Amino acid sequence: MRVTRSFLMAVPLTLAAAPLMAQEAPSSGGSLMSLQTNLMFWTLVIFLVLFFALSKLAFKPITAAVEAREKALEEALASAKRDREEAAQLLAQHRAQIDAARGEAQQVINDARATAEKMRNDLLEKARAEQQATIAHAQQEIQREKERAVADLRREAVEMAILGASKVIEENLDSDKNRKLVDAFLSSIKPSKVPA
Amino acid sequence: MRFRSIFATMVMVLAALTAPPTRALAQQGGTPAPEQEPGLKHPLGPADLIMPHITDARTMEVPCFNRDWSCEVRLPSWPVHIGSTTIDLGPTKHVVFMMLAALLCFLFLYSAARAHVRATGEDGHPRGFAAGLESVILYLRDEIFLPALGHHGDGYLPFVLTLFFFVLFMNLMGLIPYGSTPTGNINVTGTLAICAFIATETAGMIALGPSGYLKTVVYWPSDMSLGVKLPLTLVMTPVEIIGKFTKPFALTIRLFANMIAGHVIVLAMIGLVFTFGSWLIAPAPIGMAIGIMLLEVLVAFIQAFIFALLSAVFIGQIRAAHH
Repeated sequence: MRVTRSFLMAVPLTLAAAPLMAQEAPSSGGSLMSLQTNLMFWTLVIFLVLFFALSKLAFKPITAAVEAREKALEEALASAKRDREEAAQLLAQHRAQIDAARGEAQQVINDARATAEKMRNDLLEKARAEQQATIAHAQQEIQREKERAVADLRREAVEMAILGASKVIEENLDSDKNRKLVDAFLSSIKPSKVPA
Repeated sequence: MRFRSIFATMVMVLAALTAPPTRALAQQGGTPAPEQEPGLKHPLGPADLIMPHITDARTMEVPCFNRDWSCEVRLPSWPVHIGSTTIDLGPTKHVVFMMLAALLCFLFLYSAARAHVRATGEDGHPRGFAAGLESVILYLRDEIFLPALGHHGDGYLPFVLTLFFFVLFMNLMGLIPYGSTPTGNINVTGTLAICAFIATETAGMIALGPSGYLKTVVYWPSDMSLGVKLPLTLVMTPVEIIGKFTKPFALTIRLFANMIAGHVIVLAMIGLVFTFGSWLIAPAPIGMAIGIMLLEVLVAFIQAFIFALLSAVFIGQIRAAHH
C-alpha cells in the first residue's frame, strides 16, 4: 500500500520536473519565442536582489510605520472610549451625588421648618400659659385686695359707727358693754349684708 | 487583444484610403526618419524594422548626435563554463533595461519609504509623495492582495508587491525613447512566473504540510472507497499537475503577449509613415501611435497589477486548498 502510494507520488513529480529539464536545453535564433538562458539568469538574480532589497528597505519600513500609526490610532480610539466611559461614569456619579445632596438639603429644610414650627407652637403655648398665669395672679391679687378693702371698710365702718353712736349716747352707755353689743349685732348680720 | 487588432486594421484601412497610393509606393523609405524612432537605417520591410525593436539583442541603441540620432553599443559577453556547456551570461539589451527598471524601482520605493518614515516620525503621518505611495501600497495590501492571499498572508505581501512594482517599471521601460520592454521577452516573464510558481508551491507546503501538499498533486479524496478512488486518482492526478503548470504558463504568456502586442501596434503605426513614404499621411498614424502609447501606459499598470494579483490569487488558492 505504502509502496504503491509512494510510486504514485513519484510519477507526477517526475512529470512535473520534465518541463523544467526540457527548458535547460539551449536553442538558437532571434525569434520571439527563443530561449535565452542568460536573460533568465539575470531576471532571477535581479528579481531576487530587488525582492530582498525592497522587502527590507522599502516595504518593511512603510508597513511598520503604517502599522505603528494604526496601532496608535487604535490606542487613541480605545483610550478615548475609555475616557468617555469614565466621564459618563463620573457624570452619573456626580448626578447621583447632586441628587443625594438635594434630597439632604430638602430634608434639612423640612427638619428646620418642623423645628421652627414646633418652637413657635411651644413659644405660643408658653406665652399663653404665662398670660393665663398672669391673669390668674392678677385676679387673685384683685380678690385679695378687695377682701382686704372690704375688711378695712368694715372696720372703718365699725369704728365710725361706734364713734357716731358714742357721740350720740356718750353719757349713758358704757363703752365696752356697748361695743360688745354692736359687734354681736354686726357679726349676726355679716353674711347677708356685706357684698362679696 | 481582439480590440487592438480590429483597431489596427481600422487605422490601416483609413490610412490607405487617405493616401495617394502611387506616390506612396514609389517613395519607399525616401523621407528622413522622424527622430522618435531610432534604429531606422535602411529601407527594409516592416517586419525587419519591428522585430529588432521587440526582441532582445547583444547591442543597444543610445542617444547620439549623428544623422540617425543613435549609436550602437555592443554589450560585453561573459562566457561561463558549466561542465561541457558554455553559457554566455553577458548582459543583453533587456538585461540592461531590467537593471535600469530595478534600480529606478528601488530608488523610487526606497526614497519614498525614507520620506515616509521621516515624516511619520516628525508629524505622525506621511506627506506628499510618500503619502500617495502609502495609499497605493495600503490599497494593494488591504483591498487586493490580503483578501486574495487569505488569512495570515502578510508574509507573501513583499513578494507580490515586488512583483507588481518590478513588472510595472519594466513595462514602462518600453515607453521611453530608446527604451525596450524586458517584459516583452518570454524568458523574463517566464522566469518571473517560475518565481511565482515556486512561491505558490512553497506556500502550499508551508500552509498544508507535507501530506496536505501531496494531496494538491495527487488526487486522493479520503471519503471514497478504494475502488472509486483509484481510477479517479489516475484520471485526476494529471489534471491537477497540468493545472499547476497552467497557471505560471498563463502568467508568462499574458504579460509577454500584452507587452509585445502594444509595441507591435505602435511600431506598425509608425511604420505606416515609411511604408507610404509621405509627409501628408504622417499625422494620422503618428496620432494613432500616440493614442496607442497612452493606452500602453494604462496597459503597463493593468498588466503589472494582473501579474501580481494572479500570483497572490494562486498563493491564496493553494493555501486554502482542502480536498
